[in-house]
Amino acid sequence: MQIKRKNFVRGDTTTVPSGVAIGALNNRFGWAKQADFDSDVDVLNYALTLEYLEAEFYRQGNAAGLLSGKEAQYLAAVQKDEESHVSTLMDTVQKIGGQPVAAPAVDFGDAFSSRDKYLTLSHTFENVGVQAYLGAAGFISDKAILQAAAGIFGVEARHAAIVGNLLGLKAEGGVYMGATETPLSEDEVLAAVQPFLAGPEAAGGDAAVTL
Amino acid sequence: MTRNQEHIFDGKPVLQFDNEFDRRNFLRTALIVGVGAGFAGHALGDPTSASRSSAFAGSLATKSLKGDLEILNYALTLEYLEAEFYKLGVKGGAVSGRELELVAPIADHEAAHVTAISTTIRDLGGKAVKKPKFKFPQGTFTNRDKFLTTASTFEELGVKAYHGQVTMIDSPDILAAAASIAGVESRHAAILADLTGGNPFPAPIEANLPMAAVLKAAKPFIA
Repeated sequence: MQIKRKNFVRGDTTTVPSGVAIGALNNRFGWAKQADFDSDVDVLNYALTLEYLEAEFYRQGNAAGLLSGKEAQYLAAVQKDEESHVSTLMDTVQKIGGQPVAAPAVDFGDAFSSRDKYLTLSHTFENVGVQAYLGAAGFISDKAILQAAAGIFGVEARHAAIVGNLLGLKAEGGVYMGATETPLSEDEVLAAVQPFLAGPEAAGGDAAVTL
Repeated sequence: MTRNQEHIFDGKPVLQFDNEFDRRNFLRTALIVGVGAGFAGHALGDPTSASRSSAFAGSLATKSLKGDLEILNYALTLEYLEAEFYKLGVKGGAVSGRELELVAPIADHEAAHVTAISTTIRDLGGKAVKKPKFKFPQGTFTNRDKFLTTASTFEELGVKAYHGQVTMIDSPDILAAAASIAGVESRHAAILADLTGGNPFPAPIEANLPMAAVLKAAKPFIA
């Protein structure tokens, strides 16, 4: 049985048959290598940019007062997690002698006009976050940093699943994205978040992270 | 807290124990589940026992690969436990409706993890441990609360187990594969916490546990 990459990416594979998982993972690990990280600082700043985006997204979204009850509680916790990721990553970059990137200017359009729009974009960001961390993990050389990045990756997966469930999405391909997570390369991730990066430099790829 | 490190493979710390009790407990559990037989021999101070007891001796090119295979067999043991648990749970009818819809794919995932890890071990020239015999408290698969609470415990344990091996795995490919599985376990853990009224987001960074502590927690379910 052949599994196509686009199906992996969409989470359309309910079960991964014998022998396919690891082989496919190795291939996908190779795809992730199209990205270009020179150092642990590079990887961390890439992650930091995504975390800035998420933290600001939840700050604005939760302030819009679209949610109540358990949903509001959950999304408040998610915001706190993302803020914690931002400070952890900034601290780590500084500790290893790097310069943390500044927060990008962002624009979420009409995402906060309704509960459904807010949660739907949240679901997208969380899944992209999961895939970004997995795609970048192979570039981290310091084991302690890898441990922290893996720990953040897992929490993004928790967010993705819970928000998918709040939206009432189908379990497989909505709450879960298959038996294994799928990495994305830096290019793929930046293309996915590009529409939400504002300002004159946003159009220029890397420039978005140096605002 | 002082932490004893067992330096086994050319000084590379492979296992960490919080105290002597954990170490001895691990050795006992390791023998039961058939994981880490090579470690046990070393720790007991018999320099020749490693080659005798290792399931992989003679077939492996490097010691780091041997270490990774030990970790894969450890992961496999936990996945066997989860796969069996969910298979029986789905069959037992403890959950229905949306809850069943959320749990059924977990059964599929854990079965897929067993297959993927076993295949990887064999592809790397190692020998996959056999599925242990498991025991679950009576009523686990007919009582919704019991089933989901136990499931939640297993998922949180599984997450901590994978994260506890991140710095121990040598091969980047095996690490990527393990991480891609660990993320799915995190999704399961969050959903089961939600279903059982727990906290789906217990910490901003996943916690981790060393092998000894995980095996200790899993031991009551191994017959």
